[in-house]
Amino acid sequence: MSEFLTYLVNGLAVGCGIALIASGLVAIHRVTGVVNFAQGTFAVIAGLSASWLLGAGLPHGAAELAAVLIAAAAGLLTGLVAIGRRGTAPQSSLIITLGVAVLAYAVEIVAWGDQPRSFPGLPGSVTLPGGAEIQRHHLLVVAATAATFVLLTLFFERTYPGKALSACASNPYAARVIGIDVTRMGLLAFLLGGLLGGLAGVLVTPLRPISFDTDVLLMVNGFAAAVFGALRRPGLALAGALLLGVAETLAAGYGYAAYQTEIALGFMLVVMVVQASRRATIHEEAV
Amino acid sequence: MIETRDLVVRHGSATALDQVSLSVRRGEMVALLGPNGAGKSTLADTLSGILSPAAGTVRIGGRLAHVPEGRQLFPDLTVQDNLLLGGWRSGERDTAFVYELFPALAQARRRRAGVLSGGQQQMVAVGRALMSRPDALVVDELSLGLAPNVTRDLAGHIVRLNAERGLTVLLIEQNARLAFGMCERAYVLEAGRVVAQGPCAELAGDPRVVRAYLGGAIGGGTRS
Amino acid sequence: MKRALPGVLAGAVTLALPAFLDDSALAVYIFLGLAAMVTVGVSLLMGYAGQVSLGQGAFYAVGAYTAGLLTVQGGPPLAGLLAAPVAAAAFALVVGVPLLRLRGHHLAFATLATQLILLSLAGQLEFTGGDIGLQGIPQFSAGSFEVGGAAGYAYLTWAGLALVMLVTRNVIASRAGRGLRALATSETAAASSGVPVGRYKLAVFSLSAAFAGLAGGIYAFYVGYVAPGSFPVLLSVEYIVMAVVGGLGTVWGAVAGAAVITLLVQVLNVVGTLPGMPSYAPGVLSYAVYALVLIVVVLFLPRGLVPSVAGRLPARRGRSRPRAARPDPDLRT
Repeated sequence: MSEFLTYLVNGLAVGCGIALIASGLVAIHRVTGVVNFAQGTFAVIAGLSASWLLGAGLPHGAAELAAVLIAAAAGLLTGLVAIGRRGTAPQSSLIITLGVAVLAYAVEIVAWGDQPRSFPGLPGSVTLPGGAEIQRHHLLVVAATAATFVLLTLFFERTYPGKALSACASNPYAARVIGIDVTRMGLLAFLLGGLLGGLAGVLVTPLRPISFDTDVLLMVNGFAAAVFGALRRPGLALAGALLLGVAETLAAGYGYAAYQTEIALGFMLVVMVVQASRRATIHEEAV
Repeated sequence: MIETRDLVVRHGSATALDQVSLSVRRGEMVALLGPNGAGKSTLADTLSGILSPAAGTVRIGGRLAHVPEGRQLFPDLTVQDNLLLGGWRSGERDTAFVYELFPALAQARRRRAGVLSGGQQQMVAVGRALMSRPDALVVDELSLGLAPNVTRDLAGHIVRLNAERGLTVLLIEQNARLAFGMCERAYVLEAGRVVAQGPCAELAGDPRVVRAYLGGAIGGGTRS
Repeated sequence: MKRALPGVLAGAVTLALPAFLDDSALAVYIFLGLAAMVTVGVSLLMGYAGQVSLGQGAFYAVGAYTAGLLTVQGGPPLAGLLAAPVAAAAFALVVGVPLLRLRGHHLAFATLATQLILLSLAGQLEFTGGDIGLQGIPQFSAGSFEVGGAAGYAYLTWAGLALVMLVTRNVIASRAGRGLRALATSETAAASSGVPVGRYKLAVFSLSAAFAGLAGGIYAFYVGYVAPGSFPVLLSVEYIVMAVVGGLGTVWGAVAGAAVITLLVQVLNVVGTLPGMPSYAPGVLSYAVYALVLIVVVLFLPRGLVPSVAGRLPARRGRSRPRAARPDPDLRT
């Protein structure tokens, strides 16, 4: 039982990392219609920069913050390339973000080498009454993610720029009618995506070392979770991410570590196909 | 207040507006009639800056707000947020005057705009446009999909805004009876060109206009 | 016929080239041909069926593993080579039935996921040799004729490419091809004009998989071993880059795209391995060139390098999510 609890919390922590990546994907997709393939890249950039900055002597906290800001800048840059040019269709933008992700490989290898990097997270662990031992860093990941989601909700529902972003997601044409610059809002969404991806990166890197090509796995997991919320609903994406994280960790904990990838991806495929067939039925009924 | 000269707008290779010249003076209320596909909404989009002309000029002498065809609200946002966002350009954040104008919206302010009735949605659309504190209003298909009494009510509001506050209005309609009842002057747009213009009383006597726009029941405009 | 002239010329050059190339140049020549084979399929899929596949490497892998598995135990190589495209197409048919319900980025990710799952399975299963893969795949032979040197594989590859191009040309020119063209422009319009959208998409998907499978089969014989590491996700991205660069939906564009990218990467490889270059230089340079070429072409040359042949970016079909924009009455007829 205590073993199960440990796995559960580990899984939630892993799921939180996925959730942050997924929420970045959702934010960008809702506003711009683009699925940002470079979303995992932001996490990698933040993880690698944090490890580099810590190595350069920056204290914990400052290094992570700087790393997240670097990722946010990367997000903005990605946005500029992907949607900055007028008339770029979302499908083209997807291919461009794919290009950005590959370009990032080159930059990352030159800057930080091609070996996995990590850095220590919050040290120590706490023992629960049942005897389950839980690393404090796992708790930090869960708490930081929870706080981020609360802040995100407040941002979208309570602040004027947040409402404007929601408006662009809700009806881009109407947003233009009232004078909102939809492209600029898209760039803001990319910045936010970079920030969220970066946060995922600095939180997850102490759990699993990160290297330049970890982005594919992060991205695919994030997409799997985001798909759970049809790429539009952050709450469902969070649920999907936690489910995914827990399922993967339990599978690994009980000896099926080798099949983690299959579980995550199979889950994503089933969800997508079920959603697509449901959409098809709705569409047929509507016609 | 609103003036276009030889305006040409293209959608890809198709010409949606072909040398359209029209003008609306300050404080005036002018109708623009035409069947589906005539280019009316393209004109509205061009006036509000969403589309850019391929040739010709657009001059707007003040702030222009656009009530788009089909309302085009933010369906998952509340009525209040829809109105607030209308103030994006003007910086207006006080929605009270809209609720005064449309008391029916006051109870619905926390509801999602997507669940409102058609008439209420049109009120939100007009209210959202007014939040930009406009000097001129382009209203695209006010009557579309609304019951006649609801249309009359909304039309009354527009007429009052024009008469009492001096709001310049370009009323884009398929419903010629409604438009002639509200405006002094009208333009008729067909296949992207202005084919007739003049005082409504005169146009109402033009046999082509009668055949095309006044022959059927209300809302029964021709389709191309 | 004048129109056949470029083809004849290209054929002659293709046939003559291996005689003048040394083994390392032949390797480039072979990989170029293999890449072109896969890219023709990707280009057909993206340009005609309007579908983005990020998992074309999976079909390449299926072909390679099929050829490898059949021959490692002593099966006839010809059967292995013939089975490679068949197995890849059959695999595409099976996964295509559910996956092709998806569109746009969903399909892109689904195909990517398929490749990742396949690689992960190949790395774990006993009969595929796990992470080590299959070693000792024999040289290709048919009857008493055995392909020994690289030149032989070059001819085999380019014969395969010629076949792939011929098939594609005929598909495009056929009645089905016209239906496909409609599909690339608008799926709804194609469906309403009676094109069996689902079946056509599945057929093109399988055909493109068969091309990749054939290339994978030749690859297995030429290299002599296959392992999960031979088929990274980046491989699938490379095919997209080549297809986009050459111009989607064009046969020659796909070949041109494959040639340009392969040769460019080759040149950079030479540069990257010059004395004094850091050890990571070749990798970094090839990543950078893939990325930059892809981005620049999508942004500034959306029709690709062979724009004279009508290459249409599927992106023109617009958003794959329901467009929130207003239905414009002025566009309705």
